[in-house]
Amino acid sequence: MAAPIPRVRMRGISKRYGTIQTLNDVALDLAPGEVLGLVGDNGAGKSTLSKVLSGAVVPEDGTIEIDGREVRFASPADARAAHVEMVYQDLSLCDTVDVAGNLFLGREPRRRILGVSFLDKRRMRADAVAMLQRLGISVPDITVHVENLSGGQRQSIAIGRAASFDPKVLIMDEPTAALAVAEVEAVLELIRTVSARGVSVILITHRLQDLFLVCDRIQVMYEGRAIAERQIADTNVEEVVDLIVGRKFSARSARNTQAEGVAIS
Amino acid sequence: MSTPAQISSVPTPATRLRPRGLKDRFFANGGVGSIAVFFVFVVVLFSVATEDFLSVPNILNILRQSSPLLMVAAAMTLVITTGGIDLSVGSILALVSALCAILIQAGIPWALVVLLMLACGGLIGALQGFFVAYEGIPAFIVTLAGLSVIRGVALLTTGGYSIPIPATLSFVELGRGWFLGVPVPAIIATGIVALAFVLFTQTPFGRYVTGIGANAEAVRRAGVNTKAVTLFVYVLSGTMAALAGVVLAARLGSGSSNAGQGFELDVIAAVVLGGTSLFGGRGTMVGTVLGALTVAVIGNGLILAHLSPFLTPIVTGTIILVAIWMNFRIFRGAARKR
Ligand SMILES: Nc1ncnc2c1ncn2[C@@H]1O[C@H](COP(=O)(O)OP(=O)(O)OP(=O)(O)O)[C@@H](O)[C@H]1O
Ligand SMILES: [Mg+2]
Repeated sequence: MAAPIPRVRMRGISKRYGTIQTLNDVALDLAPGEVLGLVGDNGAGKSTLSKVLSGAVVPEDGTIEIDGREVRFASPADARAAHVEMVYQDLSLCDTVDVAGNLFLGREPRRRILGVSFLDKRRMRADAVAMLQRLGISVPDITVHVENLSGGQRQSIAIGRAASFDPKVLIMDEPTAALAVAEVEAVLELIRTVSARGVSVILITHRLQDLFLVCDRIQVMYEGRAIAERQIADTNVEEVVDLIVGRKFSARSARNTQAEGVAIS
Repeated sequence: MSTPAQISSVPTPATRLRPRGLKDRFFANGGVGSIAVFFVFVVVLFSVATEDFLSVPNILNILRQSSPLLMVAAAMTLVITTGGIDLSVGSILALVSALCAILIQAGIPWALVVLLMLACGGLIGALQGFFVAYEGIPAFIVTLAGLSVIRGVALLTTGGYSIPIPATLSFVELGRGWFLGVPVPAIIATGIVALAFVLFTQTPFGRYVTGIGANAEAVRRAGVNTKAVTLFVYVLSGTMAALAGVVLAARLGSGSSNAGQGFELDVIAAVVLGGTSLFGGRGTMVGTVLGALTVAVIGNGLILAHLSPFLTPIVTGTIILVAIWMNFRIFRGAARKR
């Protein structure tokens, strides 16, 4: 029992939307500094599972522990307080708010005057410029509304927002979908750097080659269940593809307890 | 806050960027730009067409008459910017003006009555806001029901009669008084508009109001209590409608359950004319002030021009359509439609 305390330990997570059992008794573990690749078919439940961890979705069932302590995320504010940050698949930006405003959404620098809190816009802009510079994100003008930015720039801003506020757990739901080659490389590099600092990362992507560049471990989801888990060294792209589409069922995955009872023809 | 890795090593595309000039700023605030032009246009038109329009007494008169509209439009700007609407403000105004007169007749000190009325408006707003924010019922439905029910309550309490307020009470000064040569209601309205402007543009609350209209889920995910913010904008519009009711009762020296018929439409017209988007996410307090003054000037100017007052709704409606159409046509480059 000398196993180190996991950064994240999720057990028995279940969530139903109408008639769809989106998540069915899902478990997930994440060690400090570990990079976990979460893969699965469209609609497998990857986004929903990560939203449970970021507090955006409240599951019907299941427990979450962060650093060995059980937490209950009733809202995203709770998860943020526990230093869980997420880059959402839909980016979650406010189109008619400027770049700085989006970066600081929900934690704006404030000045108190006569007991009323006002936005400290000057500090917000200065900090936002510094933040983006540190990440090497180039945005023409920090005061433009994000609706005027390109898809890739918007994505960079969503990533910058999640990465900049000292996360313990950083969830990235398809962060590279709209990015050009150099930018994808930079995101992978960002993942390596933050995980080297001890940040745990969950990376959701359909670009399987990326997983093999940065992940320590891969977890496969299939129709709302976590069906398999592999150390990156023990697997290859072909096997991951098989697991995702759920056709071949190798002997190895049968050994995995989480795969029990999932008989797919 | 420390993350060294680079997301891109591409140099800043400063070469593609022109500095923002005056023209860009004008077009970026397309709504405000066009209503400013429109406002100047109607002012010049009536100045030329009528003798008395540009006289000081008439301008002060316009300010006095438009103050209820300004107060409520300021709050309505916040409501509409969240993507909501409040159709009940005219009915709240009527109910409050009637209750106000009844309570003052009953001998309750008028200062207390004013506070009670503001609380009453806020409470009605909170109730409607609860159904909108926490129960997820569309604001249009909730406040349409409110419009009907609240007007009904007002009619029921007064039996349809107008209730006089003794002109000897200093209460009526709230509507008729002067302070340093300016009508008291105009001073109240200016104060409200200034507060609303600061609230909207300088506080986190105002930021969340805009954010909710743009992408409520994004604001929620950022850890903001979006339901409370949404509820509160209805509290504000209810309170402002009540204040408008108090000022109106004071000016007219009576409370009537028939006051403020169609008032909600004037308010919404003022806000939308000002350039606030009915779809939410885009609002401007400066535009709203110009919009409200434009609506007021049109009403006043048509009367001075000895035209039938029945023309007012026709002209106002036409101008709203033309102004919004201009916004879509001329200023399209600024506000990209998705
Ligand atoms: N808010 C919601 N309301 C109703 N159904 C939902 C909702 N969110 C997710 N679902 C359903 O849950 C299932 C899993 O969705 P989820 O977004 O988690 O999939 P995913 O694995 O992220 O897929 P993708 O690779 O396409 O992003 C889908 O069938 C989806 O229809
Ligand atoms: Mg997804």
